[in-house]
Amino acid sequence: MTFGLRRSVVVTAVVAVAIATVIAVFTWAGTPVTAKTFLNATYIGLTLGALWAMYATGLVVVYTTTGVFNFAQGAIGVFGAFFYWELQMNRGWHPILALFVVVFLFAPLLGICLDVLVMRRLRTAPLVVQLMVTVGMMVFLISLVGTIWNANTPRWVNAFFKDSGGIDLGPAQLTWHRFIVFVTAVVVAVILRFLLYKTRIGTAMRAVVDNRELAALNGARPNMVSSLAWAIGSMLGALGGILIASELEFNPSNLNDIVIIAFAAAAFGALRNLPLAVVGALLLGLLRQHTETWLNFGTNFSKAHLGIAPLLLFAVVVALPQARLEVGRVVSNLRRRERYTNWWEGLIGCGALMLCAVMFSGGWLNFGIWDPEAWGGPALNSANAAMALALIGLSLVPLIGWAGQVNFAPLAFAGFGAFVYLKLAGDTGNGYWIPLVGLICAPLGALVALPAARLRGLYLALMSMAFAQGMALIFFPHEWVIPRIGVGRQFSHIELFGITFDDRRGYFLLMMSVFVIGVYGLVLLRNSRYGRRWMAMHGSQAAAATVGIPVVQTKVVVYAVSASLAGMAGVFWATVAGNLSAGQDFDLLNGFQIVLLIAAAGVSIPMAGIFLVFTPLFTGLSHRLEDTGNVGFLVEILDQLVVLGPGLLAIGMVFNPRGAIFEMGRGFSPILPWRSDARAEIAAENAQKREPEIGELGLERPFTPEEVIAIDRRLGILDEVVPKEGYGAARS
Amino acid sequence: MKHFRWVICLLAVFALVAASCGGNDDDDSGSGAPDAAPTAVHDDSMDDDMDDSMDDDMDEEMDDSMDDDMDDEMDDSMDDDMDDSDAGPVATEEPEVDPCASVELQATDIGVSEDTISILVMADVENPFAPGLFQGAIDGVNAWAERLNSEGGIACRQIEVIEHDSKLTAIDATNGFLVACERAFAMIGTTSLFANDTSDLQTCPDAQGNDIGVPDFAYITTEPTHQCSVVTFATSRPNSECPYEGTGPRVVQSQVGHAQWVLENVEPDLHGLYLVPTDLASTITSTMPQVRSFQEIGVVIDAEPGVSGLATQAEYGPYLQAMAEANSNFAYTGSNDQSIIKWRSEARAQGFDDEGVIWMCQLACYTPTFLEQGGDTVEGTYVWLWFLPFDEVDQNQELADFMDSIGKEFPEAWAAGSWAGGVLFEQVVNEIVAEGGPNAITREAVLEGARNLASFDANGWWSPADYTTTQNIMPCFMLLQVQDGAFARVHPQERGELDCDPDNVVELTRDWAAEFGG
Repeated sequence: MTFGLRRSVVVTAVVAVAIATVIAVFTWAGTPVTAKTFLNATYIGLTLGALWAMYATGLVVVYTTTGVFNFAQGAIGVFGAFFYWELQMNRGWHPILALFVVVFLFAPLLGICLDVLVMRRLRTAPLVVQLMVTVGMMVFLISLVGTIWNANTPRWVNAFFKDSGGIDLGPAQLTWHRFIVFVTAVVVAVILRFLLYKTRIGTAMRAVVDNRELAALNGARPNMVSSLAWAIGSMLGALGGILIASELEFNPSNLNDIVIIAFAAAAFGALRNLPLAVVGALLLGLLRQHTETWLNFGTNFSKAHLGIAPLLLFAVVVALPQARLEVGRVVSNLRRRERYTNWWEGLIGCGALMLCAVMFSGGWLNFGIWDPEAWGGPALNSANAAMALALIGLSLVPLIGWAGQVNFAPLAFAGFGAFVYLKLAGDTGNGYWIPLVGLICAPLGALVALPAARLRGLYLALMSMAFAQGMALIFFPHEWVIPRIGVGRQFSHIELFGITFDDRRGYFLLMMSVFVIGVYGLVLLRNSRYGRRWMAMHGSQAAAATVGIPVVQTKVVVYAVSASLAGMAGVFWATVAGNLSAGQDFDLLNGFQIVLLIAAAGVSIPMAGIFLVFTPLFTGLSHRLEDTGNVGFLVEILDQLVVLGPGLLAIGMVFNPRGAIFEMGRGFSPILPWRSDARAEIAAENAQKREPEIGELGLERPFTPEEVIAIDRRLGILDEVVPKEGYGAARS
Repeated sequence: MKHFRWVICLLAVFALVAASCGGNDDDDSGSGAPDAAPTAVHDDSMDDDMDDSMDDDMDEEMDDSMDDDMDDEMDDSMDDDMDDSDAGPVATEEPEVDPCASVELQATDIGVSEDTISILVMADVENPFAPGLFQGAIDGVNAWAERLNSEGGIACRQIEVIEHDSKLTAIDATNGFLVACERAFAMIGTTSLFANDTSDLQTCPDAQGNDIGVPDFAYITTEPTHQCSVVTFATSRPNSECPYEGTGPRVVQSQVGHAQWVLENVEPDLHGLYLVPTDLASTITSTMPQVRSFQEIGVVIDAEPGVSGLATQAEYGPYLQAMAEANSNFAYTGSNDQSIIKWRSEARAQGFDDEGVIWMCQLACYTPTFLEQGGDTVEGTYVWLWFLPFDEVDQNQELADFMDSIGKEFPEAWAAGSWAGGVLFEQVVNEIVAEGGPNAITREAVLEGARNLASFDANGWWSPADYTTTQNIMPCFMLLQVQDGAFARVHPQERGELDCDPDNVVELTRDWAAEFGG
């Protein structure tokens, strides 16, 4: 095992160095190499690295002590920076006072609130839910900041000791602000290392994440420890946000984008090692700055230097040793109780959906306040965009929903499909190429699956994020991939069966037909042997391997299927838009929103893709309400929901991890005449409702009878010694 | 599910309340229609001016406006009567007759009723990346419409503004075109960055069912498809040849008057760095023509590195290093105000000696933020504009009206641009009305009128533009410099004047995507 680890690290390092050398040779900018230039780049790189280290240490602390990887770390930094702006710049507080209030009062409070209200409930949640909720929190906080502090107002934050010069270090000068940043990053890392490994509370923090109950029995207080970890993580996020704010254009997006660099740094420390995370951040800073100084990537790769962090994240995650298998926990969390849809039920459902689509596109559905004539234009256009996203979302069902392979890169696959289609069909719009696009995209999925074959859970999510970001920054901006055009559309209207789908109504029906076929195909696939294999792999890779399922091959196949579906969906996506913009359409945040919405709907259910009409539905409703007049308040609420909704929905998964469509289906099914099993199913679900909190396990007060029973149940004793009625009676 | 609903409701309410509370500081700068009621009064003398400015001699005027006598014309156009030229509907051969009284008004086209003309303003406002982004463009059109309505409207009708938020997405931009097609007579002040499919805009049917498109008096057009749209007439004129296939060589005009002036009056041996914004391919291809045009007039470009909007201040260090090595005396950024603030702040942080360095920036630096945030760090920076600065309200009535209506001491440039879009629309409609009466306004007539508009200068506020050609950069400029924490005019020295020398424009043909060397 050790040998394998060393070999993978060495191979990765050698390959990375070789690639870097080749890139450097071909992109050398010709800047004269002088000691002054070199030292300058080094100082600046270290400063940048120190700033990123601040975020990275916060990530590591929270992950090490709670087991939750906080995708919202950057967003907490954004919130902290904006709150600091509010106090210091807008209300004129002294910088030190404002810093104290934000970092030592507001941030810990925010962290504790997050822990108590949301994160604590994630403790036993499946990893998919953990990831979705924290990503949802990120999206929500950024949207909230943008809503509270309108971006139309220019803002900035001054550097500390802005006018006090700096320290002369050879040929260059280090400002006091940067000196403070650097020292703070190092001191914070040292203090946290000491806290975690040399103090009783630190030991308790690490023990709780390993085995909460056992740690509690030994005197730790899991809830307090968890809150403390989130408070520290939030403090570091806010501190990082404030310190970096003066170096950047002050807006939520810019401040949050840094977090992916912090992910790479944290991954460098295997997500648990603080000193290594700091070293990783410093290395990234040096790499970024020296790349900027010495290399020139030209027009087509003008964002390549920004792609260094995602590439490093990709490489580090692939090279990392993987965590041990947690077979018992995984199985218990993902126990499946839902019944599979029959072929004829699927047929009825798809038929009903198609009927609704025909009615919708024909303008026959009228909710009283909508003008049917308006369906012809914006509403159908938005619906088409939503349908294209629903098709992309469909590709995530087998991958995330069934096989449990978290993928934040659906737009990367979709964009690749659009690119392939552009090369195959040109401007002809020939729809017969679309299946071939699917076939060509499948190997890309398989290629991504190769490193993914040894990754699971969080590492897999990080890898997919790095892949998406790498594609967005390096591949798609290339002129050859999606050439800019001066007139008309890059992607012509699709022609199929002699029909040119150039009117929105027809195109909507075409996409809905494709969606329905896709849904039905997936329903059949789920009931097939392969579908069951994927779900078995999701339940437990170890168990799946034990019963003879080839895990790697199965992973490769599911990735290929997903990439193929996403690629074909990408053709529709691109054709709806007409033109794709490399700078906007492939943004990671857009990909997040698709994943979040479909996860909130119920990612294991093919029909969940239709939930992606969420945004255009509210937008359309908002437009119609505006037309009716005198409902400004409602319009405002709807507009805010469009902005805040995706994040809120994802956060809601903490209470409803299987998604809205699942719950709706479960609520509806008992009334179906042939679903006599549904009532029993719901009863069984209710019986498995969450047990009461064990709390601090009797350390602060004696156990109550309910808690004793809860402990017995958790230890598996109750069912043997106490009949069901006894449990119920005890509870009552 | 019960818990789920509770939390959603709670969070939504919290978010909405927080949004309401946090809006206070923003209201000052980012919202709403102007408070001030318009005060300009229409008098009879304006009709004579209207006759002068809109008669058949327009072409001659255009020629005149480009020559050395421009200054005289500017004076003429900015006299006391000029303010009234926007008052619209009464530009007839017999000015004493009110044309509205004798005509039975009709619904002549989509968006035109007996008493209103509906126009649509589209801008990127709400989005997760930068909420409220171009609210100023919407405010500008609302202010223009309110002022116009208070003065009696246009074509004997009142203006009704439909607002559309394009949300920084291509789909919502297309939706805006569709809404305009269905409900609006024209679009004014369009400020959408991702309007990259204009087919619905250009093929929208009019009331007769002819696919002629919707007149689009935009402010900015960033996408080539929008720039080359045959129904789009941007007040910030695109400088590039149309139609264009999107790749390969393209004829592009660039404004270099400001650099020329510096060469002639400040530093004849001008050499230095030009930072090229590289976040989008479109920013590279739109910036490179100016870099090469600078070289064409004798500016030596020591280096042309790319710069990202995400760059930290520290990342400006290498640019200073390059300047030090080349002993540069010139530093220009094609990016925004933040770019030059960070660049100069980094120079100060590193103790870089910028004595004798000419720092220069474009319209993006003409913001209050540039002065407030930059402080004495940005002292001496040159900024050039193609319109009269906001503090010269005493020199131009249109500018005075704008400043009076918009209700801000230092409004956003896009508010000015969208207001100018309204004035452009007004000028075209007034010409139609003058010729055929208030029932002659149709989309077709407006498109025809706009395509034949040889000169538009927002009543002397903006650099003149010729809409009869598809590519014609505005030739005039004026140069400001930050002095004692304020923008001070340095050229032309006379207030109310723009420099309109034809030599201010350089035309080059290159494959601009391939020009960027980094």
